[in-house]
Amino acid sequence: MFSGKAKDVQIYENNKIKLIFRDSISAFDGEKKDNLQGKGEVNCRMSAKLFEILNGYGIHTHYHSMLDNNTLICDKVEIIPVEIVCRNVTAGSFCKRYGVEQGLELSPPVIEFFYKDDELHDPLVTQDVAIQLGWMIKEEAMLMEAVTRAVNTILVELFDMVSLQLVDFKLEFGRTHDGRIIVADEISGDSMRLWDKETGEIKDKDRYRKGMGDVIQHYNDVYDKLSKLSKLPDLSLSTKAQVIVKLKQTVLDPAGEVTLRSLNRMNYQEINNARLGKHVFVNCLTAPSSELLKNLRDMSEKLFSNPLIEDYFIDLWFEEEG
Amino acid sequence: MKIGITKFPGTNNEQDIVRILNSLNAENELLYPRDYRKLQGFDALILAGGFSYGDYLRAGVIAARTNLIDELHDFIISEKFVLGICNGFQMLCEANYLPGVLTTNTSTRFISEWVNIKVNKTNSPLLKGLESKVMRIPIAHYEGNYYNVEESIKQLKDDSQIAFQYCNEKKVVEPMSNPNGSIANIAGIVNDKGNVLGMMPHPERASFPYLGSIDGRSIFENLIEELKC
Repeated sequence: MFSGKAKDVQIYENNKIKLIFRDSISAFDGEKKDNLQGKGEVNCRMSAKLFEILNGYGIHTHYHSMLDNNTLICDKVEIIPVEIVCRNVTAGSFCKRYGVEQGLELSPPVIEFFYKDDELHDPLVTQDVAIQLGWMIKEEAMLMEAVTRAVNTILVELFDMVSLQLVDFKLEFGRTHDGRIIVADEISGDSMRLWDKETGEIKDKDRYRKGMGDVIQHYNDVYDKLSKLSKLPDLSLSTKAQVIVKLKQTVLDPAGEVTLRSLNRMNYQEINNARLGKHVFVNCLTAPSSELLKNLRDMSEKLFSNPLIEDYFIDLWFEEEG
Repeated sequence: MKIGITKFPGTNNEQDIVRILNSLNAENELLYPRDYRKLQGFDALILAGGFSYGDYLRAGVIAARTNLIDELHDFIISEKFVLGICNGFQMLCEANYLPGVLTTNTSTRFISEWVNIKVNKTNSPLLKGLESKVMRIPIAHYEGNYYNVEESIKQLKDDSQIAFQYCNEKKVVEPMSNPNGSIANIAGIVNDKGNVLGMMPHPERASFPYLGSIDGRSIFENLIEELKC
């Protein structure tokens, strides 16, 4: 059905697909290509493991099950052509683009959007561009960023338990047939940078990019370390949201009028409209997801606002505790 | 025959309603939000006014999302009588049992005063014999400004659902007599079946001579009369 640089996609049953991991590896927009024995299997296993862990924390992903050593069964989605990159430490293209040294801590982590197009060399795009060019709507951009930050919190803690530092990673997202946004593609040594906390040794695809060798050995080592973990990080994820409720422009806002008159009396003559709204802040005890956003919309329509006279806007984000 | 009177945290008009019902020898009982399972055992319900749950978010909305008001759905379907007064009217609107919404008075002030309202022709037995009369009756609210979209207002007019309109002593419905900015001077409406009546003015506060008016009494009398039938 579809063949990518390292994986094939085949139609399966019931809105599912087979995601088949091959041994091929490439870098620099396909300029450097190779076949590395065992690469398909380790990335398939790694992805299955990480998706399972993420699912356990309430992150909605496309992962369903592992069919064989090279194949995952996943939800069929329409892939959004934008990769979301999350950086905890400066490295790679970030250093090149901004002329900064490698290894600087970024706190809170930096989120970047890249348009997936080898010919254009996957250019960095702003959210505004991604929305204007129709790749996503604003709400999806907001959700993808929140989910990526939540995934980062989990993965940072997880790799920390095996003494690895998560430098950065990328996520891809897909749209399900019913319009939900879920994490898709793979999460493996190909899609992240991992450094050994003690020795600083590189454990990811940079080994291949830099011709350091032993790529699969290190991929396998990371997988083995994760497999030996007897417990997972003790995390309870929560999502923050705020709902702004404002009176429709057609509805008289007496409190706004009074405020406007006061502003004018204070000689702020340049103000000719003031509207007073409400601001509801909620903390949600789940990871960010399309379902949560839908629930927030329901809450806004059923309780926070009266649709007859008010409009509402939802803002949702994830922030690390403490 | 038993009439329920709702008591939500923050409402404060229920005893005035108890007083008028007692004086008319109508059996009544206060109904608290936790008593929602008892609701269907009553023959009529009066939603008393006040400031349920502090009127946080919007007047009446928190009460409107309780089990008790959810239960009202079946109660209303079975064509039992429901009278919502002031905050009770706001609850009925927020729960969508009556159309529209009560929003902030245009004066941005709490208004407590005597007003005149004209009773229109409706199909509601609660207003039997009162048609085209003027009632002198008190209001006391901050959010009494009835709002609805134009088409709905027209619908209410066409279907004779506008029960009360603020007017002058000569029964003329005019802007000067509108205390709170309500569209079409609307002071109260009924649902299409006529068994649900919501009103901002307080008939229970105009039910004894010593209160200065007995104009509101007939609404309770009509209710009891209907329940006896």
